[in-house]
Amino acid sequence: MPYDDLRSFLDTLEKEGQLLRITDEVLPEPDIAAAANAAGRIGEGAPALWFDRVKGFTDARIAMNVHGSWRNHALALGLPKETSPREQVEEFARRWDAFPVAPERRAEAPWLENTLTGDDVDLFRVLPLFRLNDGDGGFYLDKAAVVSRDPADPDHFGKQNLGTYRLEVIGRDRLALQPVPVHDIAQHLRTAEENGEDLPVAITLGNDPVVPIVAGMPLRYDQSEYEMAGALRGAPMPIATAPHTGLDVPWGAEVVIEGVVESRKRQIEGPFGEFTGHYSGGRRMPVIRIERISYRTDPVFESLYLGMPWTECDYLVGPNTSVPLLKQLRAEFPEVRAVNAMYTHGLLVIISTAKRYGGFAKAVGMRAMTTPHGLGYVSQVILVDEDVDPFDLPQVMWAQSAKVNPREDVVVIPNLSVVELAPASQPAGVTSKMIIDATTPVGPDVRGNFGTPVKDLPETAEWAAKLRTLLAGR
Amino acid sequence: MSVPHTPDCPRCAGDAVTTVTTSPVPGVWEVLQCPRCLYMWRTTEPERRTSRAAYPALFRLTEEDIASASEVPAVPPLRTR
Ligand SMILES: Cc1cc2nc3c(=O)[nH]c(=O)nc-3n(C[C@H](O)[C@H](O)[C@H](O)COP(=O)(O)O)c2cc1C
Ligand SMILES: [Zn+2]
Repeated sequence: MPYDDLRSFLDTLEKEGQLLRITDEVLPEPDIAAAANAAGRIGEGAPALWFDRVKGFTDARIAMNVHGSWRNHALALGLPKETSPREQVEEFARRWDAFPVAPERRAEAPWLENTLTGDDVDLFRVLPLFRLNDGDGGFYLDKAAVVSRDPADPDHFGKQNLGTYRLEVIGRDRLALQPVPVHDIAQHLRTAEENGEDLPVAITLGNDPVVPIVAGMPLRYDQSEYEMAGALRGAPMPIATAPHTGLDVPWGAEVVIEGVVESRKRQIEGPFGEFTGHYSGGRRMPVIRIERISYRTDPVFESLYLGMPWTECDYLVGPNTSVPLLKQLRAEFPEVRAVNAMYTHGLLVIISTAKRYGGFAKAVGMRAMTTPHGLGYVSQVILVDEDVDPFDLPQVMWAQSAKVNPREDVVVIPNLSVVELAPASQPAGVTSKMIIDATTPVGPDVRGNFGTPVKDLPETAEWAAKLRTLLAGR
Repeated sequence: MSVPHTPDCPRCAGDAVTTVTTSPVPGVWEVLQCPRCLYMWRTTEPERRTSRAAYPALFRLTEEDIASASEVPAVPPLRTR
């Protein structure tokens, strides 16, 4: 059964031993962020963290690191917690094929229980806000799913976007927003600002565990995140109508914040420690005026630590970046076997592919760079043969060390587009990109001495099973 | 911890700091904000985030930095009909 809200998922995490309640009283800073940072430093299988004794607060409930390990990511998809990263990506790709699954509209969303409007709107009354990293300009909502519509085509359900964008609290009823130009909300805002109009938005917090996965997923502009959530859940995604803006929002959210991005206005924002492991900001960015906050009784505030990888953010955007690239590449090149785009939201990608003919793998690499996500990210592509597992980094390093003749197999293309946040870009937003072709050349590409590879012995699989049994029986 | 009078902004040294909110448990902390650079902090945070003297040079902002900060995304031209 898929989860319809965050609370039911937290229950499962607890039953599976994957939720740790911090029972000591903690300081809002630096304890909560430091604990979530530490969850990424204690090895495999880190749990989600729950805080409800936070100094100065009377009823804070804070969930961190909910997606912050392969175990938790597996459970979010309803898979056994031992499922390997590669198997999770494969299952994700299988479920994608059910897309689109129409959502189910429900009434009486639990967040209709409480409402703040007008002068009562005050984020601090609803959320136990706190800072993440030292240099952050303020307190952030960094695990929200933000809904907006295309002002030029407001009735198109697929063009309605659900995306994760960092939001800085700059007042009781004001947020700053970072719409990276290649992302969908930036397109909505551009149209609204060209018309001199505000852009209505609904910001949803504390969602069922599939929502953050689809909200951070590079889908095509006109593809609906809700219809993708249905495919991943294996059941329609429950949505509800937000009362103030009429936007479609997750039915199970803890908090729904409605307002508008004020047209043609920019204010100083940031810095903020980003997914690149570097700070970005302070730049002048768009501002949201909040007009209504709806929330469940005793709301849970879900947030995420991000900084030097790996952190929760990397688990969250690992599979959901790999699968769209796999699907988009395979649509034209069925030879593509697997895609590992788990490094910095796909700034570096490893692709395993069969070769149609000599030179083919490099073409696959170039295509990865020209997918919608590739235009803003994919800056380094390593191509490996069809029998190399791109998720097995020692195997990838073997392929690169043994198969690459640098002069012909490393291609660098200057002056291509990348997100401005990419720290190595120069100027920001422009970078060279590199293809490393670590596949075995095939005709008519006759370079190298690859005619006699050593393959695993035919009996090895049988022996592996036997060794496992012997070890298990000791 | 007491907050005798509002300090200068740790980040830009602005002196018009305002109180945004106070702790639900009375007297534990306040959240302050600088209206010039919008920096927001809680009075119980470590000194490196709350005191001008201890605030890292790397993250300090000047009035010129704020004025010259780039617009992201740029405001597009108004569509003329
Ligand atoms: C924790 C987190 C924070 C993010 N912050 C931003 C952000 O501030 N701005 C942005 O444009 N994208 C941000 N992203 C990335 C987008 O959510 C992601 O690239 C998504 O695929 C965008 O999809 P869209 O173009 O379909 O809207 C963030 C992702 C995550 C997981
Ligand atoms: Zn300041």
